[in-house]
Amino acid sequence: MSHEENQTNQYLTFYLNGEIFGIPIHRVLEVLDYTEITKVPQTPDYMRGVINLRGSIVPVVDMHLKFDLDPSERTVNSCIIIMDVTIEGTKTSLGALADSVREVIELEPGQIEPAPKMGTRLNSDFVQGMGKHGDEFIMLLNIDAVFTGHHGSLSEADSVAA
Amino acid sequence: MAKTVLAVDDSRSILQMVSFTLKGAGYTVVEAGNGQEALAQAQKQKFDLVLTDLNMPVMDGLTLVQKLRATPSYKFTPILMLTTEAGEAFKAKGKAAGLTGWLVKPFDPQKLMGVVKKVLG
Amino acid sequence: MDSPQQAFKEEAYELLTELETALLELEECPDDMEIIGQVFRAMHTIKGSGAMFGFTDISSFTHEVETVYDLVRSGEMKVTKTLVDLSLQARDHILGLLDAVCEGQPADLPRSGELVRQFQALIPGKTSTPAFEVPVQEEKAEIDELQTYRIRFNPSPEILKTGTRMSALLDELAELGTCRTIAHKSKVPPLDQIDPELCYVSWDILLTSPCREEEIRDVFIFVEDECEIRIRRLDIGSDGEEQQKRLGDILIERGDITQDEIDKVIAKSRRIGEMLVDARLVDVDAVESALQEQQLVRQLTEKRKEKTEAPASSSLRVPAERLDELVNLVGEMVTVQSRLSQTAALSGDSELQSIAEEVERLTEELRDSTLNIRMLPIGSTFSKFKRLVRDIASDLKKEVDFQTAGAETELDKTVIEQLNDPLVHIIRNSMDHGLELPDVRQAAGKPRQGTVFLGAQHSGDSVVIEIRDDGKGLNTDVIREKAISKGLIGPDENLSDQEIYQLIFAPGFSTAQQVTGLSGRGVGMDVVKRAIEALRGTISLDSTLGKGTTVRLRIPLTLAIIESLLVKIGSGSFVLPLSAVEECVELTQSDIEDSHGRCLANVRGTLIPYIPLRNSFAIPGPVPPIQQIVITRIDGQQVGFVVDTVIGEHQTVIKSLGPMYRDVRCTSGATILGDGSVALILDLVPLTQQHAVTEAARLS
Repeated sequence: MSHEENQTNQYLTFYLNGEIFGIPIHRVLEVLDYTEITKVPQTPDYMRGVINLRGSIVPVVDMHLKFDLDPSERTVNSCIIIMDVTIEGTKTSLGALADSVREVIELEPGQIEPAPKMGTRLNSDFVQGMGKHGDEFIMLLNIDAVFTGHHGSLSEADSVAA
Repeated sequence: MAKTVLAVDDSRSILQMVSFTLKGAGYTVVEAGNGQEALAQAQKQKFDLVLTDLNMPVMDGLTLVQKLRATPSYKFTPILMLTTEAGEAFKAKGKAAGLTGWLVKPFDPQKLMGVVKKVLG
Repeated sequence: MDSPQQAFKEEAYELLTELETALLELEECPDDMEIIGQVFRAMHTIKGSGAMFGFTDISSFTHEVETVYDLVRSGEMKVTKTLVDLSLQARDHILGLLDAVCEGQPADLPRSGELVRQFQALIPGKTSTPAFEVPVQEEKAEIDELQTYRIRFNPSPEILKTGTRMSALLDELAELGTCRTIAHKSKVPPLDQIDPELCYVSWDILLTSPCREEEIRDVFIFVEDECEIRIRRLDIGSDGEEQQKRLGDILIERGDITQDEIDKVIAKSRRIGEMLVDARLVDVDAVESALQEQQLVRQLTEKRKEKTEAPASSSLRVPAERLDELVNLVGEMVTVQSRLSQTAALSGDSELQSIAEEVERLTEELRDSTLNIRMLPIGSTFSKFKRLVRDIASDLKKEVDFQTAGAETELDKTVIEQLNDPLVHIIRNSMDHGLELPDVRQAAGKPRQGTVFLGAQHSGDSVVIEIRDDGKGLNTDVIREKAISKGLIGPDENLSDQEIYQLIFAPGFSTAQQVTGLSGRGVGMDVVKRAIEALRGTISLDSTLGKGTTVRLRIPLTLAIIESLLVKIGSGSFVLPLSAVEECVELTQSDIEDSHGRCLANVRGTLIPYIPLRNSFAIPGPVPPIQQIVITRIDGQQVGFVVDTVIGEHQTVIKSLGPMYRDVRCTSGATILGDGSVALILDLVPLTQQHAVTEAARLS
């Protein structure tokens, strides 16, 4: 894994509510335009549902709801970033619903600072570090953590249903 | 017409296995429990192949082979022996008696069929 | 990478399984020659093929074990428990050796030596125990390529008197590959001098075959002592570059003529063959034969460039992944086909419709035969359990008779694989917690030996697997107390026996009690239940205190494709397994009003409870004036599911929702419809249970 993590310094950046987030480019499979998402009943709201990606079923997570941000407005720029994640040891593909994709940037390790313990609404486990690019700060996500464990599964699914 | 095989062995289980296998492959099989019985059968009808055990009560396999070879109608008939060993001594004795080939026990149905096909063509 | 080796490995794994079964049977019937024979044959085959494919460690070890069983066969040795124990260890060791080869690990040869010594110690009269020889690594023979051999077969004149048929021999050779046969008839005397009982002919055979020289020699096994048999592999350069041999060289190489003799005639300048014949140095047949070889070699050299195809076979082994790939493709084919049918139906084009129908029929056949390929008898796992039971019994000091039934019942390969762990766990539980110790059983008036029964049988589109023991049964009071202490139920909750049994499957129920070290894998029955449900199966329990417990699993035959009913609620599509569906009836607004808020439909006088899925799933939008109730039968009970519209029957290719949705209870997967949209597959059993719980809460 560490080998894999080290092999690139490139990050795909995207917007959520005006904030910039980044994920390692080698984890990104493709970026899709917004498409019809089939909701799976009795699941939390942030789990928007599943889509048909060339014959495979791929789950889509609404990053706004996942991070407790204000609900997203659908625009022409809304997109689904398909990425590889490892959930409880199983490698799988997953789509993240974002406001828009920005660009691919390069960040040297020196440009990345540890995640601040405070001052962000995000669970600090989700953040791998803060990248500084020009005069902007980019929240680099630890995507496995974002979608894994209690945060990612639906232990409260039944209560949602009831 | 189905080829006929005379199977000779004092062990019921081996005889059964041989018989079952050959019948399954479309041969007609007549069974005999020792050399003497086999000789009697061989005189009643002409078999295309004789399969015999070596050690049997009353008349053993080698004697049976010699007696069959001395019978004009069995001069060129393939005769196979079921044996637990196929050492040089056995081969020499068998060949001298007029044996066509042998099958080393234990054998499975597949091997049996292989050898039968080998000598019958 | 190495296909013959792969084939051997697969064969060996099968044989080892058979061997294990046979050994366990042998323990029960130590005098059964047939079983001894089986054990011997399994060892024999492993030894034989092992040697052929270069698994020398396995082969030489197995040879030693086989030797012992040869003694058993010939009655010089008796089958004892020690022998069976040792043989089982040997069997495991062979498996270990095989695994070592697969993983590129070094073989545990000291263990081989140790086991061989133990085997030899069992042989009566065997005093000296020669150390197990570490075999020298032999060079592996190249056998996957076609080779060409020149065979000279010169039988003794007397050969016919042993009943040998020349035609049978030549035919057998011909079966090994492509043959060119030239008979040398020069020794045949004039007709009036012929003795019809003698053989005057000899043969040169050019055989092109994947066989090795030994296999060719085997053809002559019965006649090798009275005939001259020379077999030589012809060098045909694999790059096709090697220089073609001249006729003279071939004749010299075969010993038909010497270089001197050739040199003498070579001065004259006609074709060498004719000259040699004229000079009476060789006969016409010899030249003809050599010419044939020259021609063949020429052809083969050319052919080699094109790469020859492998010989056909009546059955073949296919890696499981390829089969899975095929099933996936068929799945997609089914999806596309339903799209075609849909489009054709809408188009009104009758020709297109008839094509679509044809495609539908073919797809259905394709689907059935593809899924059939993956069906395997469940018995292959049964034998594993036999061993497991034996080992557990001796660990627990319990006496167990393990019975099986329905080994021939076929299930999808994937399902069988995924059933393994749950079954292991259930059987362990039965033996550990169910069966009593022999003394306890005796005191209770039961036979000392307990029984564990494992059976499988078809039931509709499912297979029912039963694990039954005649142990002490489930004590509802104990379970109840434990559940209360774990906070799973309140102290005053009034539960039926069945409900109490179900507590065993609750997460966190069974883990703590497993202190025996046997079942102590940290998994409880909740994991078993999850595993069974992941197979879209159900698990149920039945028990009588003091008499025993039965665990019943109901598993669908295949995981890949099901027949289903496609329905719509709002804009969402859902499918229900057709096997559960009985009929569809309308639900009007007045029906709902008539039932006074109780979800019961009156179907021809019978009141059937129904579940309004729109509510359960919190689907927004207006409710249509006439809804449909899909009446299903679940665990013997009729239950209705209310949907907006029923679209019709649908071939559903099941796709997993992935780990994100692992805990979702109401759907068991998704499928892609003809128009590319996604429909969810409803899991009716949990839906019904969930509804019952909410209803109960609402009414109380």
